[in-house]
Amino acid sequence: MKVSFFETVRYQASKPLPSEWPVPSGVYDPEAGSRAYRGMIERLELVEALGFDWVSVSEHHYSPRILTPSPIVSAAFLAAHLKQIKIALLGPIVPQSNPVRVAEEIAMLDTMAQGRLVVGLLRGTSNESLTYDLNPTESRERTDEGMELILKAWTEPQPFGWQGRHYRYRTVSIWPRPLQQPHPPTYSLGTSREACEFAARHHLGCGVSYGSFEGVGRATKYYREQCAQYGWQPSPEQIIYRANMLLADTDEEAHETLRRLPGTAPFSMRPGVRDAMMTIDSRNIAGEARSPIVSGALPTTFIGSPDTVVEQVRRCRDVVGAGVIDISLHPPGSSDLAPLMRSLELFGKKVLPRIRDI
Amino acid sequence: MADTEFREHHVDADGFKIRYLQAGDGVPLVHLHGAGGLRLTPAHELLARRYRVLAFEMPGFGNSPVNTRTASMAELASTMARAIDKIGIDTFNLMGTSFGGKTALWLALQQTGRVLALVLEAPAAIRQEGAAPPAGTPEEIARRLYAHPERVSAPPIDPALRAKAQPLVQRLLGPHRDADLEGRLQDLSTPTLVLFGTLDGVIAPAMGRIYKDLMPNCHLVFVYDAAHAISTDRPEAFTEVVSDFLERHEAFVISRAETVIHP
Repeated sequence: MKVSFFETVRYQASKPLPSEWPVPSGVYDPEAGSRAYRGMIERLELVEALGFDWVSVSEHHYSPRILTPSPIVSAAFLAAHLKQIKIALLGPIVPQSNPVRVAEEIAMLDTMAQGRLVVGLLRGTSNESLTYDLNPTESRERTDEGMELILKAWTEPQPFGWQGRHYRYRTVSIWPRPLQQPHPPTYSLGTSREACEFAARHHLGCGVSYGSFEGVGRATKYYREQCAQYGWQPSPEQIIYRANMLLADTDEEAHETLRRLPGTAPFSMRPGVRDAMMTIDSRNIAGEARSPIVSGALPTTFIGSPDTVVEQVRRCRDVVGAGVIDISLHPPGSSDLAPLMRSLELFGKKVLPRIRDI
Repeated sequence: MADTEFREHHVDADGFKIRYLQAGDGVPLVHLHGAGGLRLTPAHELLARRYRVLAFEMPGFGNSPVNTRTASMAELASTMARAIDKIGIDTFNLMGTSFGGKTALWLALQQTGRVLALVLEAPAAIRQEGAAPPAGTPEEIARRLYAHPERVSAPPIDPALRAKAQPLVQRLLGPHRDADLEGRLQDLSTPTLVLFGTLDGVIAPAMGRIYKDLMPNCHLVFVYDAAHAISTDRPEAFTEVVSDFLERHEAFVISRAETVIHP
């Protein structure tokens, strides 16, 4: 099992913040932000020293919950500070990006970081449609087309035009191309039938997140079936599972910590917006409809003592088929750093060495 | 608006009675069809709003008599050039689809001064090893040709007529890499647009880059979510880029899209 640390930048506010998304930027404290980014580097130096394989960053906007609106900026900063660990950009949110720009930036950073990049391309959470005025009914199609254009920009040696449905370019010819050829290890992220089929058709990896092992396991099973249809078999490392992990000395302590966490839903929008979004933003797990918006806290599927978590990782491998777990140690909603650091050390000493062979 | 209803005409050339469908006004745009034969697509009508479109049925295809005479693609091209002469057309734009893309290349090589610009829709002049034209039942053929069979409005080409033309296709198509033709392409300075659908399952879209490598004034465009029959799968997208190229040639890379939302 390979292990990735999901870095969300722990912004510590001096007073309680509104929970509704978007969070007013007027309550942002530049000093607290500065501390959070400095703290991130210190934490990730420890993550690297503990032997994690990757550090991952994502793209979320207008909120302190995950303070990385530009994954490429995050990744570039991390790549400059950390020397060995791979940097996994699990963003960018494709439908609201310029795909050619994404291809260029990733190629550039892959080269500058000496081929240490891993890339995940995705549609983004429902609320992100509001960030740059993206019509949610178009986001799936824009994602598929944008991903295809990114792959083409990385691999086509001649200048080309793109006559798309949502994107149109007359001249594309990127410099530099990625150091890793033909391109960095790339994953299509999401549990949907469309994301899995795209991954299978283009021989990409698949990344799922936050569901139960059985829930996301339906998506990874579908992905493997689709790969078989296209005549290939993904390696375990081509399946990433991102999840919350609560680690403590004992199971009781871990569960007690979970009970004390606020349990708020991530990125909760105003009721009228949420209700409207529920009717127009369609999402699925391997073709089976799911709600586009999470109503409560995201589940914590790795929880307990090191022994318990090692067994859960084993089950995750069996049920989900994942060869990479991308863990959010201590939920990102919490900005309490002490338990995060304790969990991190515990993970490095008591869990990581025992899950390598899983 | 121009009359975009296609009407049937015939012209005699090299002893063949050649059928063609014509609509629209403006600069002539000659179209040479693929290995299945002539079949109008929505793109023909869209192009006829701006051009005088002449869609030819090359001798041996459709209901024309079996063509055992034409010995090479170059010869077919010169017959088509004579047909264009007979209609009284001097200079024209030329568009070739798949098999007809190779005919169009030969025609452009033979008539360099007359062809204003060349459009090659999924051309078959350069093919990956083992590429084969679609064959089988109309349904099997449709699966190879279209990403969006639901968008096909015209009835499929009669399998008997398709089969009748296949010996001619086999005789003229040539090897997957045609050294004679490719050797000449470096001198063909006619503005050329090569289009491939990203889902082309007949000819690999990666062949597009070879044309661009070989030809001094070639532009390559991928049409997303289209298979081999680009003009049927995505007629509006196809027509937009083709019209723009025919109008502006290499300057078509300069965007004219307007992004003002409100004044």
